[in-house]
Amino acid sequence: MKQRYALRVNGGTRETEAEPHESLLDVLRENLRLTGSKKGCNEAECGSCTVLLDGRPVVSCLVLVPDAVDREIVTIEALAEDGEPHPVQRQMVEQGGVQCGYCTPGMIMSAYALLQENPDPTDEEIRFAISGNICRCTGYGKIVKAVRAAAEEMGNEGT
Amino acid sequence: MSEDASRETAQPYHWIGRNVTKPDALEKALGATEYVGDMVVPGMLHAKILWAGTPHAVIRNIDTREAARAPGVAAVLTAADVPGTNRYGLAVLDQRALADDKVRSAGDALALVAAEDEEAAEEAVAKIKVDLEPLRPILTYKDALDPDGPPIHEGGNVFQHTTVRKGDLEQGIAESDVIVEDSYHTHRMDHVPMEPEAGLAYVDPSGVLNILVGTQYPYRDRRQIAPALDLPMNKVRVVQAPIGGGFGRKDDITAEIHVGLLALKTRRPVRLVYTREESLIANTKRHPMAMSFRTGARADGRLTFLDGDIYGDTGAGISLGAYVIKKAGIHATGPYDVPNIRVDTYTLYTNNLVSGAMRGFGVMQAAVAHESQMDQLAHKLGMSPLEFRIKNCLKPGLASSTGQLMNEGCGIEATLQRIKDYMNARDLRFKRSQAAS
Repeated sequence: MKQRYALRVNGGTRETEAEPHESLLDVLRENLRLTGSKKGCNEAECGSCTVLLDGRPVVSCLVLVPDAVDREIVTIEALAEDGEPHPVQRQMVEQGGVQCGYCTPGMIMSAYALLQENPDPTDEEIRFAISGNICRCTGYGKIVKAVRAAAEEMGNEGT
Repeated sequence: MSEDASRETAQPYHWIGRNVTKPDALEKALGATEYVGDMVVPGMLHAKILWAGTPHAVIRNIDTREAARAPGVAAVLTAADVPGTNRYGLAVLDQRALADDKVRSAGDALALVAAEDEEAAEEAVAKIKVDLEPLRPILTYKDALDPDGPPIHEGGNVFQHTTVRKGDLEQGIAESDVIVEDSYHTHRMDHVPMEPEAGLAYVDPSGVLNILVGTQYPYRDRRQIAPALDLPMNKVRVVQAPIGGGFGRKDDITAEIHVGLLALKTRRPVRLVYTREESLIANTKRHPMAMSFRTGARADGRLTFLDGDIYGDTGAGISLGAYVIKKAGIHATGPYDVPNIRVDTYTLYTNNLVSGAMRGFGVMQAAVAHESQMDQLAHKLGMSPLEFRIKNCLKPGLASSTGQLMNEGCGIEATLQRIKDYMNARDLRFKRSQAAS
């Protein structure tokens, strides 16, 4: 039976009705129309549905809605500020890390989470951070390059 | 580094070598791009498919009555509801939008449901009753070549036989000092684009059936959709939606005819989004091939002949299979000069999933065989595999297996020389570091 849930999404509170067995991904996409998070496999293999839950990257297809209550949810839609893309987003574009684009939002969320925790990661740490995100187009090289460039850009901003 | 004549010098190009920002990259990075599965239109129904799930069977009956009465259901359709030819296919019209007389592969669609939401559609699909009479399935190359095996389509299970002939095979064999004979099997492979197949269709006020789909080829889609649904070509508009990866598989019809048919019948917009599992079951694959090769060389390292057979399993539909498998035969000698050739290829129908276009288009399968043969020959001759390849690769003035003259070279020698330079430099570095330590 459907129940009411208040979800803290992207800095605001969104009320919605869902079955308790529905995934956070489905509720974000279908109820809240936040379709930036993609459904590539719906079984935690591909990472295209990655969002942040209390700052940690999670595959939202495997999070049940009740488990997301009272937690801070951040989706790809919240990364740009005042129309200005986040450095990870900008560098993914500039370094050629985006091709078909379907893995891109999840990839960016994993990279964003990494840079929040580790502002100056090694390539190995970058590769580990995006190891749960499958991309079939790029071969990952340019994505790693983009994350490194974003780290440098953010480092420069800080100084 | 020596200025070898075969090393082609790079021409200055306008775009090649420059960084170009993809025009749609930013909207994708922002998560703003709407793929078909992200799109919602007012009054939209959701579609689900009943898949056959069994490879070969006669369809005795499909009872949709209970499903049609299920809550939220707007339509339950079978082949009998298709107004047009019900047929499609990139090269041959051997695929059915909805299976009619027989099930030919587990990925055949038996019935469609459109309902108010996906759950209602799924529940209705579970209520469809199917009566199938199993037939002997044709699953292996051997099955397909068995003249007593049941034909999957009219005309038998060997769809196409092609040949490549060059020079004098017997002479090539007689000139050979070493001969390697082996057989190779490649497996069926899925492209796994990150976006599972999806389509959204609606009939607009002027009566045009609009189909939004992440396709590789909207015009060829339209040419297949219109006759299948008995519509004139100008009453079908295929809109190229953002495509979340294709790699060849979205060359074929995917959700187009199914959503189109449901929209025509319900007069409401209909969206169909495959699950990953459905995408794996129902769409084209890379062709598995079985290849038997006999290749010879002289003691001086020159290739003498190739004598080979290639069998390709295209599944229950040709799609582009006849071209893919023929191409494997054309490329069976790889980028090497082989003076005497006999290669036969066979495109076989089976009850396996349909195989079609995938990056490389038959050339990759052939490479598994010819490169393995090259390694084995080099080993037998006691030559370096790299030198053996440089000696035999196509050079300007030589012709391919089918007689195409390499009048401007084909880049393979320059590539192999670069590899040699790289490996020599690496060896030198290694030796120096050993000496230093």
